[in-house]
Amino acid sequence: MNFAFSEEEIRFRSEVDTFVRRELPPDWDERSFYWPAAYGAIAVFEEEHQAFCRAFLRQLGARGWLSLGWPEACGGGGSMMKQAIADDVISYYRAPSGNIATVIGGPTIIFVGSEEMKREFLPPIARGEINFWLGYSEPNAGSDLASLKTTAVSDGDDFIVNGQKIWSSGAHVSDYAWLLARTDPAAGGHRGATLLLVDNNLPGVTIRPIENIVGFHSFNEVFFDDVRVPKRFMVGGLNKGFYNVMVALQFERLVVGIGAFRRILDELVGYVKERYGRKKDRVKNTLARNALASIAIDIEVLYGLYWQNVWMMEQGRVPELEASAMKLFSTELSRKLAGVAVDVLGLPAQLDRGSLYAPLQGRVMAGYLDAVSGPIGAGTSEIQRGIIATRGLGLPRA
Amino acid sequence: MYFDETHEAFRASVRRFVDREINPHMDAWEKEGAPLHDLFGKMGELGFLGIRYDPRYGGQGLDYWYETVFIEELGHVHGWGVPTAIMVQTNMATPAIDMFGTESLKEQYLAPAIAGKLVAAIAVTEPGAGSDVAALKTRAVRDGDAYVLNGSKTFITNGCQADFLTLLARTGDGPGHHCYGLFVVPTDLPGFSVSKRLDKVGLRSSDTAELFFDNLRIPVQNLIGKEGEGFIYQMMQFQHERFTVLPMTYTACRDIIDMTVAYIRERIVFGKPLITKQVLRHRLVEWLAEIESLRHLTYHIVRMKMAGRDVTKEISMGKLLAGPLLNRVSSGCLQMFGGMGFMNETLISRHFRDTRVMSIAGGADEVMKDIIARQEGF
Ligand SMILES: Cc1cc2nc3c(=O)[nH]c(=O)nc-3n(C[C@H](O)[C@H](O)[C@H](O)COP(=O)(O)OP(=O)(O)OC[C@H]3O[C@@H](n4cnc5c(N)ncnc54)[C@H](O)[C@@H]3O)c2cc1C
Ligand SMILES: Cc1cc2nc3c(=O)[nH]c(=O)nc-3n(C[C@H](O)[C@H](O)[C@H](O)COP(=O)(O)OP(=O)(O)OC[C@H]3O[C@@H](n4cnc5c(N)ncnc54)[C@H](O)[C@@H]3O)c2cc1C
Repeated sequence: MNFAFSEEEIRFRSEVDTFVRRELPPDWDERSFYWPAAYGAIAVFEEEHQAFCRAFLRQLGARGWLSLGWPEACGGGGSMMKQAIADDVISYYRAPSGNIATVIGGPTIIFVGSEEMKREFLPPIARGEINFWLGYSEPNAGSDLASLKTTAVSDGDDFIVNGQKIWSSGAHVSDYAWLLARTDPAAGGHRGATLLLVDNNLPGVTIRPIENIVGFHSFNEVFFDDVRVPKRFMVGGLNKGFYNVMVALQFERLVVGIGAFRRILDELVGYVKERYGRKKDRVKNTLARNALASIAIDIEVLYGLYWQNVWMMEQGRVPELEASAMKLFSTELSRKLAGVAVDVLGLPAQLDRGSLYAPLQGRVMAGYLDAVSGPIGAGTSEIQRGIIATRGLGLPRA
Repeated sequence: MYFDETHEAFRASVRRFVDREINPHMDAWEKEGAPLHDLFGKMGELGFLGIRYDPRYGGQGLDYWYETVFIEELGHVHGWGVPTAIMVQTNMATPAIDMFGTESLKEQYLAPAIAGKLVAAIAVTEPGAGSDVAALKTRAVRDGDAYVLNGSKTFITNGCQADFLTLLARTGDGPGHHCYGLFVVPTDLPGFSVSKRLDKVGLRSSDTAELFFDNLRIPVQNLIGKEGEGFIYQMMQFQHERFTVLPMTYTACRDIIDMTVAYIRERIVFGKPLITKQVLRHRLVEWLAEIESLRHLTYHIVRMKMAGRDVTKEISMGKLLAGPLLNRVSSGCLQMFGGMGFMNETLISRHFRDTRVMSIAGGADEVMKDIIARQEGF
């Protein structure tokens, strides 16, 4: 076992760091409210950041940094480790290190997609030219995804799609739905569904915004009304949708924006050093010291899980329980971090973003609200614990 | 056991008011802020703003049980901003005038506040003096028939709409707590200004302001009680303020739980209503147990108050339990709504947004712990 990074990895980290510092707009800190392991304020989902995000991702793509972890045979860099390092550095600056197509779509297509699909989609994904949104959840199918009702009915060379999706993050700013729909209504439960890529611009697709608790437009509800989708846009096999989504979910659960945890910690430490040095603030300092020390330990633990997952993928394995554990731990840590941050900043933390007097650009209360999304999205905490208990520990089902 | 028919009739009238005159407007008021003169005018007519106060000034002359009923019913408001604004009027800015004010102060300010004609605010906190009230710097210097006021106050609820402030200022430099005065400061005097309206994340329906005083001349008659005793009066007034958090919390928590139960009863997941899941049922029941104990601590406090006993320790304990309980219930219930909980402008998300501050405002949890430790002689 070796916990050290190689010289090449260290060099690469500093290369990415230099690049990001150079490319980010000077006011990025005032504009990006990304909170680690949360889903409500991710720049790539926001309209106002589209021009920047698209250009930034293309630059990452041009360097091969969006597909570092893909096998070389698929045009990738063949090093999960390097991808993980790049993600760590880029997320520290709350900038996008990829999008749904690069971190979930691409890797899943490599695993389960046809050769034709790989040829058609992998290159533009790796270049950062296209993006997907995840079309799983429906009004009556969330944790219980098998209850989904959206249908894709075979009609010659096409499927005809009808139904509704909800909580669709970034649907309004991406190009294709990564859509799970029922293709065999007779088969119940986890059979009879298929994963499809559906172009947002096809007739019959309607996207309506939903404002989230932070006040941002990150997610949507999307309606499909007789949308005709050519069968070559099927991802993986017919009626293998649930299996394919399980693979995709493992990749999704690996996305934690880990660097952003370190960033907030650094900012809080800076704040306390600057503000609470005076004798009269001794009490506040004591509280902050204890809370921040505890957060620092948790972040180290999270990095342990992170590198473990990366190492497994480097071995060609898809982490399952390990991904669930990291998802659960990181999202709950995200909430804990937000609670501590609110306490440490005290009263001024309550001021809204945009207020001149709000410390840390008002990102702490925004993050406090945003952080509740982590334990809900991508499989709730209750569901993750269930997975770990059932599949990890072999406990009987509840 | 605690409430008889008259209490219940009163409860019903407050509840009717909340359901008809407040809740239907809450969505709009969250955006625009609540119009306090209009709201308080209506409440004044119904006698809601002077429950415990002397009938000579328009009060109802009722006891702490009625006050408790009133606050419990305000817990049903869909959001914490409006109840906070009301509590400032009845329990934060006026108790000291009632207890220590002169006849003329009562006629001039307490009576119209009870009638809902004047809006009151309490001005204690400053940029450099929050939990540590004694560190405040705003100064009132005696000059003939006036105290000349200079300084600033921040995070003042109702600050933008207030007609008068009950304000704590330094009147001397001596050590200890006997160098502060508590004043009634009309906001139409020259030298008063609202330096900014603070844009908060939560309690959006209540306005919060930073205030600035530039050589504002407070008439000497507007001093509440004796000159050096303001700090002591304010500490007593704080007990009325902190108490309000208790009934509000257990009522609102119960509402949040009821609303969540109604949702997860209907929500079918894996073929069964979510309410059948033991983890969720048990979580809800734990909160109910905590809510019930907070309610009974509160009733115990009311009985102590009725018996004229000092309740500082018990109120501090109640507030210490209430803030975190409210946070646990609002965030735990939000989780049970799944994706729906993350939408803006749903009631559960508003509760979550509003309630974090309850562990801070009116004395932070740590300050409550300090008070209790001191009372215990640690
Ligand atoms: C910010 C955000 C972004 C999202 N983005 C997307 C997206 O891009 N695409 C997409 O498809 N979906 C997205 N989602 C939806 C997300 O995947 C679902 O919200 C999640 O799977 C939960 O489903 P639900 O909302 O239907 O809640 P429900 O499944 O109704 O669950 C409600 C509550 O019950 C609990 N519960 C459920 N089953 C059990 C059980 N067996 N035992 C105990 N407790 C249980 C849950 O944990 C939860 O607390 C997003 C959600 C959020 C909050
Ligand atoms: C929505 C809102 C409305 C308000 N309305 C009013 C109003 O109308 N009028 C008014 O005068 N004020 C008002 N306040 C101010 C409020 O009363 C203060 O926020 C409160 O007294 C705490 O002061 P502070 O925030 O400056 O905290 P600080 O004193 O800066 O304390 C910050 C943190 O340090 C810790 N701490 C401080 N002292 C100690 C100690 N001795 N021991 C241990 N820990 C400690 C606590 O955790 C505390 O949260 C309002 C506040 C809010 C949020």
